[in-house]
Amino acid sequence: MSNAVIRKTLISLAVAGAATLAQADVVIGVAGPHTGPYAAFGEQLWKGAEKAAADINAAGGLKGEMIKLVKADDACEPKQAVSVANRLVDSDGALAVVGHFCSSSSIPASRIYEEAGVLMVTPASTNPTLTDQGLPNVFRVCGRDDQQGDVAASYIVDVLKAKRVAVIHDKDTYGKGLADAMKSTLNAYGVKEVMYEGLTRGEKDFNALITKIRSVDADVVYFGGLHSEAGPLVRQLREQGSKAIFISGDGIVSDEFVSVAGSPKYVDGVLMTFGAPPSSYPSGKKVIKEFRDSGYEPEGYTLYSYTAMQVVAAALSNNNLDPVKGSEWLKSHSVNTVMGKKDFDDKGDLTVSDYVMYEWDAQGKYHQVN
Amino acid sequence: MDIVLQQLVNGLTLGSVYGLIAIGYTMVYGIIGMINFAHGDVYMVSAYITAIAIALLTFFGIESFPIIIIGTLFLTVAVTGAYGWVIERIAYRPLRNSSRLSVLISAIGMSLILQNYVQLSQGANQQGVPTLLTGAIRFTVGDGFVQITYMKLLILFISLLGMGVLTYVIQKTKLGRMCRATQQDRKMASILGIDTDKVISTVFVIGAMMAALAGVLVTLDYGAFDFYVGFIIGIKAFTAAVLGGIGSLPGAMLGGLILGLSEALFAGLISSDYKDVFSFSLLVLILIIRPSGLLGKPEVEKV
Amino acid sequence: MSQSVGINFKKSSIDALVAGFLALILFGPIVGVLLDGYGFSAEFGRVAWMVAIVVVGRFVMSCFFQTEKGVAMAFRYANNDEGATVLSPNHKSKMVWIIPLVILVGLLVPFVASKYVLTVVILGLIYVLLGLGLNIVVGLAGLLDLGFVGFYAIGAYGLALGYENLGLGFWSMLPIAALLAAFAGAILGFPVLRMHGDYLAIVTLGFGEIIRLILTNWASFTHGPNGVSAPLPTLFGLEFKRRSKDGETFHEFFNLPYDSAYKYMFIYLILFAVVWAVLFIKHRLVKMPIGRAWEALREDEVACRSLGLNHVLVKLSAFMLGASTGGLAGVFFATYQGFVNPSSFTFFESALILAIVVLGGMGSTLGVVIAAFCLTVLPEMLREFAEYRVLMFGILMVVMMIWKPRGIVRVTRTGFAARKGAVK
Repeated sequence: MSNAVIRKTLISLAVAGAATLAQADVVIGVAGPHTGPYAAFGEQLWKGAEKAAADINAAGGLKGEMIKLVKADDACEPKQAVSVANRLVDSDGALAVVGHFCSSSSIPASRIYEEAGVLMVTPASTNPTLTDQGLPNVFRVCGRDDQQGDVAASYIVDVLKAKRVAVIHDKDTYGKGLADAMKSTLNAYGVKEVMYEGLTRGEKDFNALITKIRSVDADVVYFGGLHSEAGPLVRQLREQGSKAIFISGDGIVSDEFVSVAGSPKYVDGVLMTFGAPPSSYPSGKKVIKEFRDSGYEPEGYTLYSYTAMQVVAAALSNNNLDPVKGSEWLKSHSVNTVMGKKDFDDKGDLTVSDYVMYEWDAQGKYHQVN
Repeated sequence: MDIVLQQLVNGLTLGSVYGLIAIGYTMVYGIIGMINFAHGDVYMVSAYITAIAIALLTFFGIESFPIIIIGTLFLTVAVTGAYGWVIERIAYRPLRNSSRLSVLISAIGMSLILQNYVQLSQGANQQGVPTLLTGAIRFTVGDGFVQITYMKLLILFISLLGMGVLTYVIQKTKLGRMCRATQQDRKMASILGIDTDKVISTVFVIGAMMAALAGVLVTLDYGAFDFYVGFIIGIKAFTAAVLGGIGSLPGAMLGGLILGLSEALFAGLISSDYKDVFSFSLLVLILIIRPSGLLGKPEVEKV
Repeated sequence: MSQSVGINFKKSSIDALVAGFLALILFGPIVGVLLDGYGFSAEFGRVAWMVAIVVVGRFVMSCFFQTEKGVAMAFRYANNDEGATVLSPNHKSKMVWIIPLVILVGLLVPFVASKYVLTVVILGLIYVLLGLGLNIVVGLAGLLDLGFVGFYAIGAYGLALGYENLGLGFWSMLPIAALLAAFAGAILGFPVLRMHGDYLAIVTLGFGEIIRLILTNWASFTHGPNGVSAPLPTLFGLEFKRRSKDGETFHEFFNLPYDSAYKYMFIYLILFAVVWAVLFIKHRLVKMPIGRAWEALREDEVACRSLGLNHVLVKLSAFMLGASTGGLAGVFFATYQGFVNPSSFTFFESALILAIVVLGGMGSTLGVVIAAFCLTVLPEMLREFAEYRVLMFGILMVVMMIWKPRGIVRVTRTGFAARKGAVK
């Protein structure tokens, strides 16, 4: 079977608007978990990128050419990430990719993009390995787990002056990476954790684990993971009468954290590390307002995705739509985005880590700790 | 000491939930010998209906906890029962005379359908229900305390009640007799004038209803769920059903309790990283000693 | 009878109304009430649409099943005959022509297909291997194995960890991983010999989960969820990278411009050869006494044992052969992806492989090959449906099972004929 035949079959199978092979546009992939258990994040990625692309197109596009987005679903499975990455660079002819979400998908996919000379900007994969691979085309507009862990650990030691820290993670690339980073900084400060254990993603009953936290008499519980587990965890912690301070990372940044915890009173006092608030940037305010006006709350990674798209656009439009040159260009130029000015180092990480500590209040809102 | 006792309480409540869901597996297996992989997702559907029922009831201004919980139970059990019936009708009945593996694959397909159908209609985000019942009974033990929340007491009470009613139905009523007859010999039962298709449908409805019972209680207790929540709890409940001897009602409850206790004790006293490894190893060990599970009838080898 | 000619519209209408009522109950809450925090928003339009579709669909179906054609169809599906198709003794298989043709086309694929298509085909071939392996265990020996992904994981991690810790490359790990997986198969095989059917299913499921959990939790050795890199195969020491740290790369040696498609072509060609080798071995095994013993044991264990068949040996050999094929597939998977982590080896993967075997037709080799391609290529083709992809996949799985409960290809056997000269 020739390539053309297969392509024809694909197209004939496709629904009406599937003409993804349009020539004149600049094709950019938005890769992430659009189905499967992490689909909520995939939606954030898509909304952010979609809005950014629409805004850029409205302002004249890239060098007069319109951005055309392709939704690429990896369901956070490495296997599918490889397939979809090959599809993006090959069939869709994408010049750049915003994504992926899960680090375990981003890592194998990044190699395919590197070989094809495609620019990859991830809004969410925080695992250090991704940029430590030394690929020239990989960037991220979020922080690294080790930066985030540092902020949390120094806060625990310097501000909370805690001695008994329990470290919990969700055995996933993101959660465990974050917990490990926090733990190693904590140990460097001379504080040894009293407990280090993993829970299983998808479970909701953590009572056994919490009774154990109670038994080691922890005064701080650090959790590396997402809000889907953090909610029940903090609720059951409080139900068992523990007063330990609960700290987590940017995986719990979502209003759903309150609703899965069962009541705002359970999240009261929960601390988390997250990038400096986008609303503190003037350009961010406008975008957030437009999102809200359209009936969508831009939470979690939405604005990161918007930022990633802006970085991609800047790299492409300043280099005659050449992603390889764009990758080099990004390392020496800064980009103005809705989340402020972004500079990248040689690895593709942000030069400035903007993690700060936030606290949830009894109304179920979070604000920066001063 | 207080810690060990608390872990026992944790394990018992977790186990009773596993037991309730395991009933659905065990009944379906008993009657048509199939592993209903979509059962965990039926539980997931019931969690959504619970949240919807609570949202609707509070919308109409009902505040009192007993009315909300009874209303939610009633609505959820009824609608989930309908799901059980329709799933059987669409995906399993056309395969009644085929090999059991075909039904298994159909069930896996059904499980995918349910997950994605809920995801597409309700969105992929995490959902929650508000905390309606708080507070706990605490006993002081040594320097610490052991507590059991009112919600957990309610779970234990309702699951025991559900088990009791079900056992009565199966053992004492005409419907139960028809179920048992169909279980023993479907062909013979139909010759004797039992509408076996109807009986099988009924069993699916009962299984779904028990899953709904668990769905309401667990959703109220943990508060959090998403469209993927049925998978892990489904596998655990299936394990519990096999542990207790698949096909046996008291076995399902016993298997659930053993599984819950072993998880809680292992996680609490040794390591929560390896608690699932421990549960599965325990299962293998029990099955090596008793190949038909704890309360299962040994399979008679026909010559 | 008269009613078989005319369509009873009253009955159809009642059917449709009942279905509509049920649809209202089912879709009403889940589709109609969209949860939003603790509140909700009503989406009655969506419910109305879905109920309307169900009502119309049920009405059409009800009418159709009252026509003669429909009655015939319903009758056909109510009677799913069992067993194998017996061919006439003189039957000449067309495979003699088809196989060389397929090999020829298969050899041409990497040179004409685009990289994306090539990767999908590689994935398809990996699943062919997995399906063939499980087919020995489930299809031939009748041992329901829900943890087959464990062997797959052993193969994949074998390559990645063998490379990292022992410096072993693709070519040395290929046989070693197969042996490792076979060994694991034997370990699993021993305790489960006494068990039957579904108890076996859950124990094997547990085994698969235990392997995955160990891979996740034993972080000091397996790197846990972070995963491990896996090496690419080499052609007599030539690497398929853009630059090589030591030694020459493939494109430098042959003076070609670098193209990442070369490595996929190379993996494809090796995989293609291995798949054919496995197909051939399996084809011969089925005709050998051991293959006959597997099938006999599947049909009646008691009879086999009373006839003196060593059931331990027969079952173990099935487990080990199946497992080693799974291990081979794992090595290819790891090298194709360049990276392995535990999330590739979940229970769902086992279910997918089982679906390949059942969908293909239990015990049928050709069926497994077709089904493996269907189930891997299908999700890729359905990509156009975006978020409806997995839903479609699930629906197709159910529909396929109802349409062909015994799989796509039924097992065929050549009939017996009296030999020449034998007394009739």
